[in-house]
Amino acid sequence: MKFHSVKVEEREELGSYTLLKYRWSDGPVEPGQFVMARAAGYPATLDPFLARPFSFYDYDETMASLLFEVRGRGTALLDLASTIVVTAPLGRGFRIDPGLGRAVLLGGGIGVAPLKILGRRLDAVGIPHDIYLGFSDAWPAAVARDFPGAGMATMDGSAGTHGTVLDAADSLEGYGAVYACGPNPMLAAVKLAAEQNSLCQLSVEERMGCGNGSCNGCVVPVRGGGYIRSCIEGPVFHSDVLAW
Amino acid sequence: MREQETGIDHAVELCGLRLRTPLIPASGTLSREALGEVEGVYGAMLPKTTTPTTRAGNPPPRIAETPAGMVNSIGLQNPGVHGFLQGLDAFDLGIPIFVSVAGDTVAEFALLCETLAGDDRVSAVELNLSCPNVECGGLAFCAGPASVEEVVATCRAAVPGKPIFAKLTNEGVVENAHAAESAGADGLTVINTLPALTIDARARKVLVRGGLSGPAIKPVALRAVYDVSDVVNIPVIGSGGVVSGTDVAEFMLAGATAVQVGTASFVRNPHEILDEFTAYLKENSLSAAELTGALRGVRSAVTGSQISG
Repeated sequence: MKFHSVKVEEREELGSYTLLKYRWSDGPVEPGQFVMARAAGYPATLDPFLARPFSFYDYDETMASLLFEVRGRGTALLDLASTIVVTAPLGRGFRIDPGLGRAVLLGGGIGVAPLKILGRRLDAVGIPHDIYLGFSDAWPAAVARDFPGAGMATMDGSAGTHGTVLDAADSLEGYGAVYACGPNPMLAAVKLAAEQNSLCQLSVEERMGCGNGSCNGCVVPVRGGGYIRSCIEGPVFHSDVLAW
Repeated sequence: MREQETGIDHAVELCGLRLRTPLIPASGTLSREALGEVEGVYGAMLPKTTTPTTRAGNPPPRIAETPAGMVNSIGLQNPGVHGFLQGLDAFDLGIPIFVSVAGDTVAEFALLCETLAGDDRVSAVELNLSCPNVECGGLAFCAGPASVEEVVATCRAAVPGKPIFAKLTNEGVVENAHAAESAGADGLTVINTLPALTIDARARKVLVRGGLSGPAIKPVALRAVYDVSDVVNIPVIGSGGVVSGTDVAEFMLAGATAVQVGTASFVRNPHEILDEFTAYLKENSLSAAELTGALRGVRSAVTGSQISG
């Protein structure tokens, strides 16, 4: 896998999340795409060994940003790094179709990440949309300030609606396109709640080894049996494709 | 050509095949989609192991990171040998193609070899005798010298005219190497991933039970290559934890004729590994072929008792 060394231009804390920005001019970034990233310094740092996948949070043609939560050594080092290494944008992103009408964007926890760049792109092509965000509690929910006008829920009721992101959204009726990213149980619930005739696209969060289709580590089960790779065939899937 | 650019000869000969570099991707670590990034790096191509019929693979989670490595339990996900051969042209980078095969039984190995025997695109066959995350059909099948000898002898007869390499696990590697050689293997790939387990203490559950790869296993693999190459007369392909050009040199010094790069290609651009290896050869005014087994004869300086103290 080819990695590019980039300088961290800006770092911001949004509740429990960190937002990193770096310059990227080496090709387009589609909403829903991701990068493999790690703190620079390899091979001096063999622990952690692998890079981590992160959805693009935003891209304004100059500056790309990644949103993440420190969960282990890899993200802890990334959080401190002044230089990081990133791959080119990877994977298949969200399909955007103005013919589908109004869209709804649903994010759970760190799954809110790809909704920022998606909302930007929907605005650019004139697709009206609503955004709903769900969190465990008020601390991570602080990231919602970066999504003006978005509805919000927390599981403990400490901010916004008490409940899940679907409680905040109330109903998915009337939306031509449903976009969601979050933990698998949330995505399964969104799939059930979406109207039959709407285009429902789900961005999955899976552990990844390589990001280029080689290791087959990031698979998701598909309807009809078997598994497909979230790094190549995804990470955004039409909900009908997925077994759950 | 890289040789002309640098004046360095990193070509090697393996069982009558000329490899323009000693590097080979380890099976299961290089996808069709990633080929665009590796042109010029490898001396032979080696796609993911294929089996007689489609395998869906194991349910997730399939991978877990460990210090200096990772544990995987993919379960040989593949479309089966016929689907595999339909997609094989994508792996044609103008270098020999080696095909890795795995069966649950001797008969399945034989069937795979017969299927490959008539395919001119296939230059050699690697027998995956040791994938630690697939349960073999019978008890201990593939585990001991008797079954290694049976599989290799059967495959040798089933695919005449193409070199076959037996990919061995670390456990019992010297005995199994002897068995494979006497059964007619043309070469040995040493070693596969090591049996390993990761546990999530917080969730109190097993994360992944599978095979450990990455630089964590390099010293184990080096020892196996060193010991095996000393006692067999067929070429050894070193595999296990190679992440740098120096690692490639170490495996060749230990006795390997060629070296597989696996997990490292997830975290580095394999071009960098070849560049480092080329730089090593240049600094030491050596060709790649001169490295293989260069430590033979000086090995008596280090005895087993000295190592274990």
